[in-house]
Amino acid sequence: MTEPILKVEGLSKVFGGLTAVNEVSFDLAPGEIVGLIGPNGAGKTTLFNVISGYYAPTRGKVIFQGRDVSGKPPYALARRGIGRTFQVVKPFAGLSVLENIIIASFLKHPRRAHAEAQAWKVLEVTGLADRAHHAAASLTLAGRKRLEIGKALALEPSFLLLDEVVAGLNPTETDRTMELILRLRDSGISILIVEHIMRVIMGISDRLVVLNFGQKIAEGAPAEVARNPSVVQAYLGKEAE
Amino acid sequence: MTPVTQDKRLLGAALVCAALFCVPAVMHDTFFLRVATEAVMWIGLALSFDVLAGYTGYLNFGHSAFFGIGAYTTALLMMKGHWPFPLAVLAGAVAAAVGALVIGVPTLRLRGAYFAIATWALARAIQQLALVSTFTGGPDGMRLTAYLNPQYFYYAMLGVTGATFFALWFLLERAPFGLKLKAVREDQESAKALGLNPTRLKIQALVLSAIPTALLGGVFAYWVTFIDPGSTLGDLVSDQALVMVVFGGMGTLIGPVVGAVLIFAFKTLFWAYLSAYEVLYIIILGAVIALSVVFLPNGALGMVFRRKRAPAATPGGDAPEGGLDGPDPLEEEA
Repeated sequence: MTEPILKVEGLSKVFGGLTAVNEVSFDLAPGEIVGLIGPNGAGKTTLFNVISGYYAPTRGKVIFQGRDVSGKPPYALARRGIGRTFQVVKPFAGLSVLENIIIASFLKHPRRAHAEAQAWKVLEVTGLADRAHHAAASLTLAGRKRLEIGKALALEPSFLLLDEVVAGLNPTETDRTMELILRLRDSGISILIVEHIMRVIMGISDRLVVLNFGQKIAEGAPAEVARNPSVVQAYLGKEAE
Repeated sequence: MTPVTQDKRLLGAALVCAALFCVPAVMHDTFFLRVATEAVMWIGLALSFDVLAGYTGYLNFGHSAFFGIGAYTTALLMMKGHWPFPLAVLAGAVAAAVGALVIGVPTLRLRGAYFAIATWALARAIQQLALVSTFTGGPDGMRLTAYLNPQYFYYAMLGVTGATFFALWFLLERAPFGLKLKAVREDQESAKALGLNPTRLKIQALVLSAIPTALLGGVFAYWVTFIDPGSTLGDLVSDQALVMVVFGGMGTLIGPVVGAVLIFAFKTLFWAYLSAYEVLYIIILGAVIALSVVFLPNGALGMVFRRKRAPAATPGGDAPEGGLDGPDPLEEEA
């Protein structure tokens, strides 16, 4: 087995008296898509924020490419190859779509002309090229979600955290985004994805990690996890006796 | 904006600079040269204010502190240290840059109104310090040896302002720095995810804004030969620069220039012809600002250019026309 690109070890995040993430551990192999699922409030987004450096963990470690990166700021993690999207999309609204991507491209291409050339490639991949010169604020929700992915991609990351990039899209858009995610995986990027739409998460994930009340309650292949009684209970409640 | 139109604008700016260079040759009236000198100074002050206000999204009400630090450092070094003027001015810029670092580290963690209040309070503290210190002359201010050469000071101001304009054009419109600042302005959290360190960028912007302000302050001190805490460290510089930038158009380099020229022209004409109605000046200025904030969110210049940049300016989340995929009415609901 190859060395995992990401190792989450006994990670906990406590806010005041609330334990949002509780002793969660899992690994992610290079080129793997891991789906992170769980009911609302299970701690998925908190876990994302700890892994991407927005919160420092209360306990536990995040090991990325063999190095302990727990508590490092987000910009330092971005420089090491971690890209992320936000559940509540965060475009630079007053800037053009192209400028949004160029800013991300600066990370690997400090020269403006190179960054711009690179940004156009990302716009092609994400299907935003025809809107390049429009303000990011003028995009539809679908467009803004693709812009989120585009910005993360322009970082040329080795690991992507995708937070509900499909939720709210129509079926055509959903298929296009799923295809895009699979293509990214095929290009060698490891992906951790949070998604509520089961069709998507079951369809693209190599493995699933299930959280409930901040704890990992199951892990494994999608089909296996779907049959796991504690997962069914977390989602649907206990069967009436 | 494509590089070609940018280059055209730069050429235009260079021509304006060349024309301004010729002003003393044709304008022999000392009063008008004095007005022109001050106008050029205000252009520089508005430009440097816009680095933080427009590009970075931080209203710095402590901008005047940098002007005063430049003025006082220059005065002190020239009068007590007998430094030559150019060196004293440069030392003032260094002092302001150091001041920006010291002020920036704690205050740039604050956002919005909190930053404005904190910088305003710090500027007031520095003003009080100059007021109670003996080496600055306290409330009596400082007198500098007069150098009666209006043309010299016009060129000194023009040199600083011109250099500021082209340096800012390069850093903010050409180099990645300007876009990075705008990213921080638009969404600091998102900027972090893209590998940008917002605190570092904001401090760099503050230092970049402080240096030309202090240079202008130093030239101002030697030019007017007398400075006191009120004239150089008071609110005036911050307030005027804010008015000029808001009126002209924030987040551009042409906006502050246009705003500075228009507001300064208004001020000069008002004092020349209507000085009996002194109280009206502030009222009119206040009304202009209130109205331009409400009706000209992109400034006087923004209004002129709006039609050219049609769909890009659509605020909010509405989609003007369908892209390749066609707009889905349900998308916005989700």
